[in-house]
Amino acid sequence: MSEVKGAYNVCIIGGGITGTALAYSLCNLGETSVAVFEKSYLSSGSTGRCGGGIRQQWSTKNNVRLAMRSVELFEHFKEDVGTDIEYYQGGYLMLSYDEEEAKQFEKNVEIQREEGLDVEILTPKQVSERYPYINTEDLVLATFCQKDGHANPHKAVIGYAQAARRMGARIYTHTEVLGIDVQNGKVVGVDTNQGYFKCDAVVNASGPWSKQVSQLVGVDLPTESYRHQIFVTEPLENFFPMMAISFAGNFYMRQAQHGQFIMGQGDKDEKPGINYNVTFKFEKELTVKMVKLFPFLRNLRIMRHWSGMYNMSPDAQPIIGQSNIVNNYFYAVGYSGHGFMVAPAVTEALAELIVLGKTTHTDISYLNVDRFANAEVEKEKNVV
Amino acid sequence: MVDNQAGGKRHVDAIVIGAGPAGLCGAIAIAESIGDGTKVLVVDEGIEPGGQLPKQTHKFFGHEGFYASVRGFEIGKRLVDKARELGINFLMQTTLAGIYEDSIVAYDRNSNSVSEYTADYILIATGASERFLLFKNNTLPGVYGAGAVQTLMNQYKVMPGKSFLIIGAGNIGLIVAYQLLQAGAKVKAIVEATSKIGGYMVHANKIMRLGIPILLNHTIISALGEDRVEGAIIAQVDGKFKPIPGTEKEIAVDTICLAVGLQPSVELVAQTGAEIKYISELGGYVPVRDENMKTTVNNVYVAGDLSGIEEASTAMIEGYIAGYNIAQKITGKDMSEKITNMKNELVEFRKGPFAAKVREGLKKMGISFPGGGYREEIQQMPSSLSRLKAVIECPQAIPCNPCETSCPTGAINTGGNINGVPQVDYEKCTGCGICVTKCPGLAIFLVQQREEHSIVGIPYEFLPVPEKGSSVKLLDKNGKYVADGQIDRVMINRKEKTHIAFLKVPKGMEGVVRHFEMSTVSEESQAYICRCEEVSRNDVEKLIDSGITDYEEIRRVLRIGMGPCGGKTCRSVVLQIISEKTGVPISESRLGAFRPPVIPLPIDAIVRYAKGVGTDE
Amino acid sequence: MGRLVEHPILDVKSSTSKTHVVFYFEGQPICALPSDTIASALIANGIDIFGFTEHNHARGFFCAIGKCSSCLVEVDGIPNVRSCITPVRDGINVRRQEGRGKPKW
Repeated sequence: MSEVKGAYNVCIIGGGITGTALAYSLCNLGETSVAVFEKSYLSSGSTGRCGGGIRQQWSTKNNVRLAMRSVELFEHFKEDVGTDIEYYQGGYLMLSYDEEEAKQFEKNVEIQREEGLDVEILTPKQVSERYPYINTEDLVLATFCQKDGHANPHKAVIGYAQAARRMGARIYTHTEVLGIDVQNGKVVGVDTNQGYFKCDAVVNASGPWSKQVSQLVGVDLPTESYRHQIFVTEPLENFFPMMAISFAGNFYMRQAQHGQFIMGQGDKDEKPGINYNVTFKFEKELTVKMVKLFPFLRNLRIMRHWSGMYNMSPDAQPIIGQSNIVNNYFYAVGYSGHGFMVAPAVTEALAELIVLGKTTHTDISYLNVDRFANAEVEKEKNVV
Repeated sequence: MVDNQAGGKRHVDAIVIGAGPAGLCGAIAIAESIGDGTKVLVVDEGIEPGGQLPKQTHKFFGHEGFYASVRGFEIGKRLVDKARELGINFLMQTTLAGIYEDSIVAYDRNSNSVSEYTADYILIATGASERFLLFKNNTLPGVYGAGAVQTLMNQYKVMPGKSFLIIGAGNIGLIVAYQLLQAGAKVKAIVEATSKIGGYMVHANKIMRLGIPILLNHTIISALGEDRVEGAIIAQVDGKFKPIPGTEKEIAVDTICLAVGLQPSVELVAQTGAEIKYISELGGYVPVRDENMKTTVNNVYVAGDLSGIEEASTAMIEGYIAGYNIAQKITGKDMSEKITNMKNELVEFRKGPFAAKVREGLKKMGISFPGGGYREEIQQMPSSLSRLKAVIECPQAIPCNPCETSCPTGAINTGGNINGVPQVDYEKCTGCGICVTKCPGLAIFLVQQREEHSIVGIPYEFLPVPEKGSSVKLLDKNGKYVADGQIDRVMINRKEKTHIAFLKVPKGMEGVVRHFEMSTVSEESQAYICRCEEVSRNDVEKLIDSGITDYEEIRRVLRIGMGPCGGKTCRSVVLQIISEKTGVPISESRLGAFRPPVIPLPIDAIVRYAKGVGTDE
Repeated sequence: MGRLVEHPILDVKSSTSKTHVVFYFEGQPICALPSDTIASALIANGIDIFGFTEHNHARGFFCAIGKCSSCLVEVDGIPNVRSCITPVRDGINVRRQEGRGKPKW
C-alpha cells in the first residue's frame, strides 16, 4: 500500500456528472470532507461524450418523477451552481414511425400528465406546420414537451466541480483508483496512483468502469458498457430548438447553442466492452437516415465524430443506492445512456442518503440493485 | 481498381497519404519494387501532386541524386512523372478524412464524394502545417500564412497584396520574402523574435543584399486596420520575448505574412493508434518510429516532415526507406541493400549543424546519427584576381554540393563531405560561371580585377533583366548604396533562369558589391488564438487561472479546436500557454484527441456514396 | 493585388488566358480563370473581405488549404463553403457569410 496522502469522509470515484454533482450536493448538505478521483480529465468518460439531452417523457411514474426533479434543478443551475451551462428548454419531440409504438406513446403521455407534466400529442400535419424542415413522411404521431431541453454536459461538470471546490471539496484529476481497502466488511481507504486516502465512505460513480470498480470492493454489479457513437456538424444559425428523438427510428438529434447539429443512434450489433474507436459505417447509416427525415442536413458537413460508453443495466434504468454487503459503499451507475439528465436529482438524493441516511426530495429506492434479485423487472421502454 | 460501389471498399497493397516529396518517393519505391504501380494509391489534398514542391520557385539544396539545383516545382513534376510512368494511381483534391476502425475514408472535394479503402500497408506522409502567432487583430483579412501566400502567388499566380511584412526569419520566411520580391511585391521587413536568423545564411543574404531589413529581437504587436490590414506595429523584445515599451514602431503594409514555423500533421497517424510523442526538436508531436520509418503500429509507416520537421532531401530519403521496407514485406524479397544505401545517405545529410536539432530529437526515440566530420574553414577571397574567378560566400556547413559536381574543371570541392564548406582551386577555375547558375543559395559570384575598374558577376533572378551599358546603383551585402556603377553585360540563362549580371565596380569594391538597383526601378492580448470561435489568449489564461488546466477541459469550455477548422491552428498555441502558466513542459502535458474526420465531410457525399449514387453533377 | 502578368521564373501565360468563368459575388459579376478557386478569383479581383464573424469582425483568406475557417462564404445559399479550395463554376452566386450560416431547406 502506498503512502497515506489524506483522509476524507467521502471518496467519490469518477469525475463525470455524477461524481462532481455528488461532491456539490454533499457540500450543500455541509459534508465538505469530500474527494473526487478522476483517472483522466473531468468529464472524460461518458458525460463529456454524451448528447446532452434532458427530458421528462419517460414510460414509468418513478422515472418521470426523477426527471422532473432534475429539470427543476437544471432550471436553477445558473443561480445555484453559478455557471451558465447553455441550458435551453427547447422541448423534446418524440417521433413515432410505428403504430404499435404510437399506442405506447399515448399511454406514456397519460402517465406523464398524471405526474403534472405538460405534454402534447401532435399529428404529422401539426408537426410539419410547426417544423417545416422535417419530412413527416411515414410519421404516425409525435409527442412534445416544451419543458424538456438540453445543456452542455462538459460545462455542467466543470460548473459542479468548481462550485464543489469553492465549498471545500478536493478534486483529483489524472488520479486513478487502483484498489479499495475493505476491512471487516467496511471500506477504510482508497489506493490511487497518487497515494492512499483514508475514508469513511466510498461512492462508485465510474460510469463505463462501474463493474471493475465494484469488483475492487468485492461487490458484483450487473452492468455492461456498450459503445455508442455520435457526430457533430458544422454550425448553422439556431433554428432547431428541440431535441428530436425516435426509438423505432433509432436516432436523436439536437442543435447545440453554438449552432452545430449533434446526432447519434444505437447499434444493436455492438458487443459489450470499452471501445473508443469510431466506424465509418455509423456515418453512412446515420446520414442516409437523417437526410431523409431532415433534408436540410444534406448541405452540412460532419466536423467531429467520437464515441462514448452506455453503462447498461439489465432493465435500462440506473442502479443507485447503498450496498448491503459493504454498507459504506454507495453506487450510482448503470445509467444506460441517460445519466447526464437525471444526475442532479440522483446526486441530491444520494447525498441525502449518505449524510442523512434517508432521501427527502426524490425516492430512489426503486433503483437499488436488489431489484434484480426479484424475477420481474419493469424495463424502461423509452431509450435509444 | 474496381468501380466505386455502394458500401464497397477498394483494396490496395499500399496506400500513401500525402503526395509531397516523402510520399512520392515512398510510392515510387514501393511501385518499382513490386513491379506494379496500380497496387499503390497516393491520396493528397492538393490541386496537383507534389506537396509543397509546386509552390517553390527556388532551387533546392542537396546533391544531384535528390535533384539539387532543380527548382521545387520542377522536382515535383519529375517525381510525379516517374510515379505516373510506374502506373501509380493518384487521388488528388482528396482528403483522407479518417482512419476509422473499419475503414480508410477518402473525401474527394472536387466531385464531392467519399470512398472507402483497405490497405495492407499505410505510408503516412502528411507533412506539416503552419504554426499560428498571437497578436492583436491577427484574424484581419491581410494576415496570411506563408504557405497560403506561396499557394496563391506561385500556383494561382495571384498576388494578395502590394507591400508585405514577414514574421519569422527561418527558411520559409526568407524564401517567401525572396519569392514576393521576384513577383514584384515590396517587402518592408522581416521581423524575428530571436537573436539570430534561423534559416540558411545564403537565403538571408539573398534578400539582405536587396536591402530588406531583417529585424532580429523584434516581434509584431498588432495588425492595424478596420476591415483589412493597413499596417502593423512592431517592437523590440527582451530576452524573454516580451516587447520593450517605447520601442514600438508603425509600418505601413497591406499584408502580413506569418512564417513562424511548422508542426507535424499527426492527426491521421494518431488515428491509427500509433504512439505519438512530444519532441520539441522535431517540431512538436511526432509519431514514434524506428529507423525503418515504421511506427508502433506494424503496418503503418511515416516519412518526411510528419516524422520531424526537416527538409525536402531527407523527406525523399525517408520516403524511400519507408517504401523499400513496405515493398520488402509485400514481396518477401530482400531489399536490404537499397535500404542500407538510403540510410547511409541520411547519415550524410544529417551530419551538419542545421541537423543538430533533428539528431537530438531522434536520439529521444533511440535513433542516433553522428554529427561533424566536415570542413568548416571559410576560404578567403584571394587578394589578386586578374582573370574572372568564382568567389563562394557560403559560410555555413549545409548539406549541398552542386557547385562541386557542376564544375567542369573540378575546381570546387566540399572537402569530401557534402556538408563541408566549399573551396575553389584558383589554378583550375576558368570563371565559366556554371556554378553561379547552379548554386541553390545564389552564393557564388564572379570577380575580376581590371586596370581601370573591377568586374563583379551577380546571380540575378528578377525582372526586368538589365540592359548592357545601363547605369546602376551598387549595393553591398546589406543592400546599402556604396557607389554608382554600370552593367558591363548580362549572361542570359534561359534554361536555369538564373542569369549573371556583370557589373563594372570601382577598384577595391569587388569584395563589397553584391547587388544593384536599376535607376529606372521606382523608389519604394486581444490576440485571437482560435479564429473559428474568436477565443482570445486572455480567455484561455483566465480559465487556467481558475484551475482548469487540462487541454481537453479548456477545449470543451471555450470550444477551442471545436470550430470548423478542427483545432489545426490553436492546439499547439493552447498547449504552449498551459505550459507557460503551469510550468509543466509540453512534453509532459496531454495531447488531446484527434477525432475524424480531418476535414469536414459533406453529409450529402456520404449519403450518395452509401446509396451508390456516385459523384456530384 | 491582382494577377501576375510577368515573372522571372514562372510561366504566367495562363493569367492572360482568354477563357473565362463568370460568377457573382454579392450580385456583382466576377471574371475568373477556369483554374481559380473562389478565393483566388476574389483576391485577383481585389476583394479580400470574404465575410464577417458573429462578432462582426471581418474575415478572409488565411491558410489556402481548407484547414481553417477563415474564408467561409455562401454559395448558392449553402453556407460554410471554404472558398480557398472550392473551384469556381460559371454562374454561381457567392455571398459573404455573416456569422454562422443560414439553413437551407
